[in-house]
Amino acid sequence: MPMIAVYVGMIAFGNYFGFWICAALAVVVGFIIGAGTERILVRPLYGKPEINPVVVMVGFLTVLEAIAAAIWSTTPRSLPSPFSPIDYRLGGRPLPLSAFTIFEVVTALAVMAAVSALFRFTNLGLQLRASALNPEVSRLLGVRVNRMLTLGWTLSTGVGTVTAILVSSNFFTGLTPQVMDGIFAFGFIAAAVGGLDSPVGSIVAGVVIGIILQFVGDFLNSNAIILVALAILIVSLMARPSGLFTHARTRRV
Amino acid sequence: MKSIRYSPLMIAAVASVAGVVLSIVMTPRSNDAVALSILLVAGALSAGLLFAPSLRVAHPVVARAAKVLLVVVVTLFATYFFPTTTNFNLAIAAAMSVTLVGLSFLTGASGQISLGNGAFMGVGAFTMAIWANHHATTPIVAALLIAIAAGALVGLLLGLPATRLRGPYLAGMTLAFAVAFGAILNSFNSWTGGSGGLQLPRATNPPSWLVGLFHQGVAPLTTNTIWLTDITVVASGVAFFFMANLFASRTGRAMRLVRDNEVGAELVGVNLARTRVLAFVISSSYAALGGALWTLINNAVTPSTYSFALSIVILSVMVIGGIGTIPGALIGGVIYAYSADVISWITAQTGLNPQGNLASQLDGIIFGGLLIVTMLFAPRGVAGLYRTFRRRQVIKGPDGVVPVEETYAEA
Repeated sequence: MPMIAVYVGMIAFGNYFGFWICAALAVVVGFIIGAGTERILVRPLYGKPEINPVVVMVGFLTVLEAIAAAIWSTTPRSLPSPFSPIDYRLGGRPLPLSAFTIFEVVTALAVMAAVSALFRFTNLGLQLRASALNPEVSRLLGVRVNRMLTLGWTLSTGVGTVTAILVSSNFFTGLTPQVMDGIFAFGFIAAAVGGLDSPVGSIVAGVVIGIILQFVGDFLNSNAIILVALAILIVSLMARPSGLFTHARTRRV
Repeated sequence: MKSIRYSPLMIAAVASVAGVVLSIVMTPRSNDAVALSILLVAGALSAGLLFAPSLRVAHPVVARAAKVLLVVVVTLFATYFFPTTTNFNLAIAAAMSVTLVGLSFLTGASGQISLGNGAFMGVGAFTMAIWANHHATTPIVAALLIAIAAGALVGLLLGLPATRLRGPYLAGMTLAFAVAFGAILNSFNSWTGGSGGLQLPRATNPPSWLVGLFHQGVAPLTTNTIWLTDITVVASGVAFFFMANLFASRTGRAMRLVRDNEVGAELVGVNLARTRVLAFVISSSYAALGGALWTLINNAVTPSTYSFALSIVILSVMVIGGIGTIPGALIGGVIYAYSADVISWITAQTGLNPQGNLASQLDGIIFGGLLIVTMLFAPRGVAGLYRTFRRRQVIKGPDGVVPVEETYAEA
């Protein structure tokens, strides 16, 4: 879904506005798509077995990727980058650091901080967490659970859009309809290793796994990256099924 | 006067004699007539078994065997008359439906979901090709069994950790495997033949004792579709027979119980973890068999076939056919085999540019759209629609066994 939002925001409006306005528009489109998806596709499936929404989302993903490819073709597009991807130099030697890299890191940190602050310090965040944890009780206590679920989808698509912008404004990857497939796979691995209910865990695991995989890519070959990622996932799930960072009671399977 | 009661077995006997006479009269070569006659007699007998009142209450395993035998024999019979393209599509449908029934079992009976069955198919397909290239003399059945074993092994490796996750998370993990599969193949280039894939070392011909019965037996492989289709159909039949029994067996019931009520299952002594992993392994073995058959049909294997997209398509046709039912898997297989034809027909009818963006993405849009529509409005798929149509008639199977049609989607 974020992929579509980026396409709409960055490509469709790209001729009229600069990077920042387009990015903002893309995030707004992401919000709208997220809310719409929850309302139209997911809402009818509450109370059904939990695999049904998964299947519907797989279908939706397929349709969206196909539509995006039909409209914008599968060739990668480069997005205008607000910062130079050229590495800084220190005394003539290139540093592994560019304005764009700094921008990516800062944005990622800012988004993480904003989301954690929302969840931890605001009333809204509390309501969101309550709805996910225990819908019945939350409803009794006056939380509008359905509205919270819509909001959850809206937020996650919006944040996903930011990720997609960051990934696809990278000069080397560019924007393709499948740009988020790999991100999703790695993101899932990081989240599962870190613990699916532990935001801190997934962030730490994400960073650590990211660094490990970078080394693997540099020293072995690019094929090995996903292999190692999969191996990490398998080993860590065998050892700590609920994630490395959770203290929650292990669900017995 | 006592009215004559026609036993179905009697009718079957008369029908098969008539069929033998017909096929001798109608077919030009005597070998064909013999083959057709054998098929006819077997078909008529299994039909008789199926409908004979004394046997309808017989052991359900016998009834299932008769059912599968009937379908297999009728199909084998039909392959003699179909044009080559139909036979090829039929073989594809049979191979695919084996994969589908495995996934259907995983989702329908045990309530887990896999987005990686395309990759498991690839495991079977490549095992088959690699093995055939190293040991060309292995009989087909043995090679298929080896492919199944490979699928089971990979399934076990992935299933042990994967079954600790559930629902969306299991889907995520299997998705990661499906995405990784291309890279895995690439890492073992020397075995898997790189992006070009592998060819089977020789044509798959029928063994000499059968050649007499099959008029194309000694023809080159490209025209040998009947034999290949027949192998695929028979192998699928065997797979379906096992699956039908598994659905109804103690293990199958344990899986449905784990799906519906974990606590209840534990209370009656079902080992949750083992049951889930078993379902996962069975599903991946079936996918591997489907892939191996696919290699056999194509006489070659290419890595690009087993992309992530294939896993999605497998899930789509499984859901559209009907989750958790055997007819659903068959319907799904046929849908898959003909989808390319239908899509190119649509392209032609709507006057789209076949090289254009929209035409090349049409399959994704149609499959994905059908998947959503099916899940929202007819969660039991085509097979479920048919069952709703004659709902009142089927309530319980023989001796109170919960019938297969207790699908997950409505649970």
